[in-house]
Amino acid sequence: MVSPVLLLAVPLGLALCVPLVGRVSRRAAGFVPVIASLFNLVVSIRLLPTVLEEPIVANLGGFPPPFGITLFAGPVGMLLSALIALAGLVVSLYALSYIKTGPTVRYHTLYMLLLVGATGVVLTGDVFNLFVFFEILCISSYALVAYVGDRAGIEASVKYLIQGALGSALLLIGIGLLYGLFGTLNMADIAARIDSVDSVPVFVAMALIVVGLGVEAAIFPLNAWLPDAHSSAPSSISAILSGIAIQVGLYAVVRMVFTVFGASSVLLFFVFLGLLTLLIGELCAFAQNNIKRMLAYSSIGQMGLIMFALAIATTGSVTGGLFQMVSHTLSKALLFLAVGYMVYRSGSLEISSLEGMGRRMPLTSFAFTIGVFSLVGLPPFIGFPSKLLIVRSALAEQGVLLQVLIGLVLLATVIEGAYFFRVIQTVYFKKEEGQEARQDAPPMALLSMFVFVAFIVVIGVYPNLITDVLESGASELLERANYIGSVLG
Amino acid sequence: MSFLHDYVYYIGAFGLVAIGLLIILVKRNLIKLIIGLSILDTGVNMFLISVGYIRRGTAPIFSRPGLEPDGMVDPVPQALVLTAIVIGVAILALALALAVRFYKTYGTLDLRKAKELRW
Amino acid sequence: MSLGLLLIVAFGGSLLTYLLGKVSARTRDAFAVLISLALVVMVASLYGKAFRVPFYGGFLGMPLVLRIDGLSWLFAIAASVLGCLSVVFSLGYMKGKERTSFYYSMLLLVIAAMLGVVLSGDLLSLFIFWEIMSWSTFLLISYNGGPALAAGMKYFVMSFVGSLAMLAGVLTLHGSFGTLEFTGVAAGMSSASPGYVLAILVLFGVAFGTKNAIWPFHAWLPPAHSEAPSPFSAVLSGILIKMGVYGFLLLMFVIVGLRTFLSLGVGRIEFHTVLSIIGAITILLPTFIAIFQNDAKRLLAWSTVAQAGYIILGISFGTSLSVAGGMFHFLNHAVFKALLFMVVGAVEYRTNGVRDLDSLGGLIKRMPVTFIVAVIGVCGLIGVPLTNGFVSKWLIYKTLILERSPFLAFAALFGTWGTILYSYKFLHNIFLGQLPQRYEDMERAPFTMLLPMTILSVVVVLFGVLPGIPLAVIDTIGVSFGFESLHVTPWGIASDTGALNTVNMLVAALVGLVVVWCVFRSGARSVSVGQADSYAAGAAVPRDKYQYSVRFYAPLRRMMAPYLKDFVDSFYMRLAGWVRGLGDGLRRIYTGYVGDYVMYILVFLAVLIFVQIAWSPW
Repeated sequence: MVSPVLLLAVPLGLALCVPLVGRVSRRAAGFVPVIASLFNLVVSIRLLPTVLEEPIVANLGGFPPPFGITLFAGPVGMLLSALIALAGLVVSLYALSYIKTGPTVRYHTLYMLLLVGATGVVLTGDVFNLFVFFEILCISSYALVAYVGDRAGIEASVKYLIQGALGSALLLIGIGLLYGLFGTLNMADIAARIDSVDSVPVFVAMALIVVGLGVEAAIFPLNAWLPDAHSSAPSSISAILSGIAIQVGLYAVVRMVFTVFGASSVLLFFVFLGLLTLLIGELCAFAQNNIKRMLAYSSIGQMGLIMFALAIATTGSVTGGLFQMVSHTLSKALLFLAVGYMVYRSGSLEISSLEGMGRRMPLTSFAFTIGVFSLVGLPPFIGFPSKLLIVRSALAEQGVLLQVLIGLVLLATVIEGAYFFRVIQTVYFKKEEGQEARQDAPPMALLSMFVFVAFIVVIGVYPNLITDVLESGASELLERANYIGSVLG
Repeated sequence: MSFLHDYVYYIGAFGLVAIGLLIILVKRNLIKLIIGLSILDTGVNMFLISVGYIRRGTAPIFSRPGLEPDGMVDPVPQALVLTAIVIGVAILALALALAVRFYKTYGTLDLRKAKELRW
Repeated sequence: MSLGLLLIVAFGGSLLTYLLGKVSARTRDAFAVLISLALVVMVASLYGKAFRVPFYGGFLGMPLVLRIDGLSWLFAIAASVLGCLSVVFSLGYMKGKERTSFYYSMLLLVIAAMLGVVLSGDLLSLFIFWEIMSWSTFLLISYNGGPALAAGMKYFVMSFVGSLAMLAGVLTLHGSFGTLEFTGVAAGMSSASPGYVLAILVLFGVAFGTKNAIWPFHAWLPPAHSEAPSPFSAVLSGILIKMGVYGFLLLMFVIVGLRTFLSLGVGRIEFHTVLSIIGAITILLPTFIAIFQNDAKRLLAWSTVAQAGYIILGISFGTSLSVAGGMFHFLNHAVFKALLFMVVGAVEYRTNGVRDLDSLGGLIKRMPVTFIVAVIGVCGLIGVPLTNGFVSKWLIYKTLILERSPFLAFAALFGTWGTILYSYKFLHNIFLGQLPQRYEDMERAPFTMLLPMTILSVVVVLFGVLPGIPLAVIDTIGVSFGFESLHVTPWGIASDTGALNTVNMLVAALVGLVVVWCVFRSGARSVSVGQADSYAAGAAVPRDKYQYSVRFYAPLRRMMAPYLKDFVDSFYMRLAGWVRGLGDGLRRIYTGYVGDYVMYILVFLAVLIFVQIAWSPW
């Protein structure tokens, strides 16, 4: 049987090989992430059926839990690791043509480390291990944001680093507190004993951990770095940051709150926080003239929506939240990839500079349009079933409060539709002055965009393809006892 | 006094954390800010060590007969701190590298001058 | 004929049209016409059938079903015929424009989505097709660029609000009854509490009302109709907004049920009366706004809003006569309004996009056939006897008078008076009056435009003389809703309170015509003089500097303009401004200084811990 350890070991090993390969051929170095992501994708998908029946618990170093470091490969972990691998694969294909200048070998190394970090976070069953992978993810993304080395990149990276480092320090304090309280770092072990301790220190630990992870998860008001970093990074990195990194952060928050702390009574707070994040993200995006910044704010909004859905904490809503994660990864990554080349051709980040792109880059614009439709939640694209699930599960709950809140969520969706459709109009229907020759994105970039398009359409039409995984993922997140039982035996 | 005696490490650790946070909060110079981050990291590391430390404890090695596990220092936090230090150094190195680039681009280390990305 | 196949042809045709456009424009045009014709044939062959077919096992656990019955057949045939005529009309209109493949494929997609909407057997597939219809319409409205962008945006936002309200309604129903198929929901609704039914009606009403542009959700329609490409305006005004009517009919009489619907209300205020009053408002205000429009298409657009008011008034009044009148008026309006939009399209085509009523005139000499069909269309719009509009309006008036609702009857009649005013302005300022010099050697409209217009004008007269043909279909639908039958005869209806017999009218009209002709023949010969002479009494008038159709109805305008502000629209625009301002203010919390951001993080942490320690909510 394939072990989930391979999902970390192989890419990590390959990441360290990138500089070696780069010595031989700079071009070949770009293919290493492709191979590693492909490997991860295949392994994750192969493991999925097994994991659906019973989660795989792998002990590093052979110590049984709660002593050694545990990897817990449940449906959520496998789903997210498959998603990371898929996005990683497509974006690394895109980068083959997009990342041409600068220290490309280092780019690919850091990029792979980022993916390893993200995969590690979703697979680990150990709190400190989570911190370590989280730091791998963060540090490589700080560096990648500054990859271009222009003013905006440096500024964004510095700000991101300061906030991120502060967050990780808080996270580490929280982990230290947990260790001091329980004398263990194993998530399941802590979860089993969480009620045995006075609630105030546990709450402080939880607050520290939520805030620490929340910086990466873009929860309002911890998300100030996000618009800067996502808009200043190279577009391939923006795609990964928006599509993968913040979602992994949110996953970590959810895993800690749901599984480790079992804090069902603070969930209402997270519902409100999610809604607030959603509204603020969408409103800020509405007033943007910079296309990448608009997409970044929209990511904040989407994170809010996902958090809202997860915090309702019914099987339906968590399924919807996980579905929205998948849909956001595919759609937002696609948007960043498409915008990457549009911006490259127009030479400006202003939305108005995209005029006439529908004629200059028809295929890229088409991919962009599909991404927008999906993100706004129009059928028959993937955003539709995910939003449908969220709304359905929220409406199924009794009580006026949630119905009012879902009204606000729908309102935010309208705002989202408004600013995105304005861009569609600019791309296709604004008459531009000088006719410029048609020059679409290079074939490799187009290929990567259309892989996303294919997924968006296919899952949008047949959402049942992934609902099984999502539902068992939801029950994994909601049923702590099973988690504890399957780790500790 | 016994309170101080029992908790001196924690007080020290959180003192460092507080100093670090204060620096990050009020200083505008990037280098000072990085120093603050470093102090913060040190405080956190010290906190981790204190969690597992026992006054007059021995190393957790059964090097001679008669050693009781109760008198041993918890080795796990020390392992954690080793990792945390490495991570801290990585962040520090990256931050300093960025600071150099920042200075080259902006001609200053004052973060208030770097407000091109906003709203 | 299976429904699935029909939709596959419709949607697949749209996609193939786009792909074919990359190969050859001529093939694509032929293919588009072929597909739309095929749809007409396929829908026609479904006449009188009633069945359901599941076509999708379970979309997130909700099976999707297609069904057909009298109601959906009526709307489907209207959609496919109008769609086909519009595609034919586009052949001429779109020649030489850019991105035509996109245009044709979107037009076919809109038609396909409309067919999907009316053939849906459950609310979820209805919603899915509804959304596809909305975004494809958005793309077509924005097609022209310039002012069309704002129009498209307004359309999209309003329609999106509507469809999200509908989504909430659909999912609430799913939560309550566990099924979304019409029959199942209807069964559940019969035992639901009145408050619940009312809430559902309001949620869906926002969606359908927005699409149907009833006041106060009409703000999107005038700009959207006037800025869209004209053949598409015909579809938009003729059938697309009628999807709202379909939704209302479905909701009121199929899902909620006639009896429940009529008894619904808060205290003494009955829901259906409120709705018919809204219908009356929708007739009055837009009619008078239409009178003062100087853009031919915008005039027609406002007229569309007003006519939609008649339809809503008819179907929400809830007697067998009025509902039949409402449904018949939907059909008639589809015919004559599409015809009139095509007329404007033809004029636009020959004058290079001019549709300003102040600068046209006298085109009767250059486009005689277009003029004749325009007259027929306008007669239908006004409701002149022996045109289709007369019969449907007659049904509505008659109900209102019989049921003694003076206000509503007054609104309907007053609306017709206004209709005469703007219809005359439309006809006069385009076709009568002076012919500007620049149009003196204009050609006639091409055959591809004349053909659909002629077909439509024949239908206007046919339905006016033999209203029994459509009324028979409408009557069966009414009976299936639970109304009593109207006793339809080929020339009208036979009821106790007064029969309608169009053949008598036809005979009377013919006799009258003969008498008038004889009188004129026997009278003195007339002398024809130049236009300027009859207007300026023989004084010399400089040509082309003098256009007497400018500022039509100016005194009336001075009198009424202050009362005719579209305050609903300005409210929406202000609301949009507020939201933008709010967003602009909010994003200032991201100040750009990293110290502030650090403060946010620490303050957030501190607040969390403080709240817990102070009040310990956890």
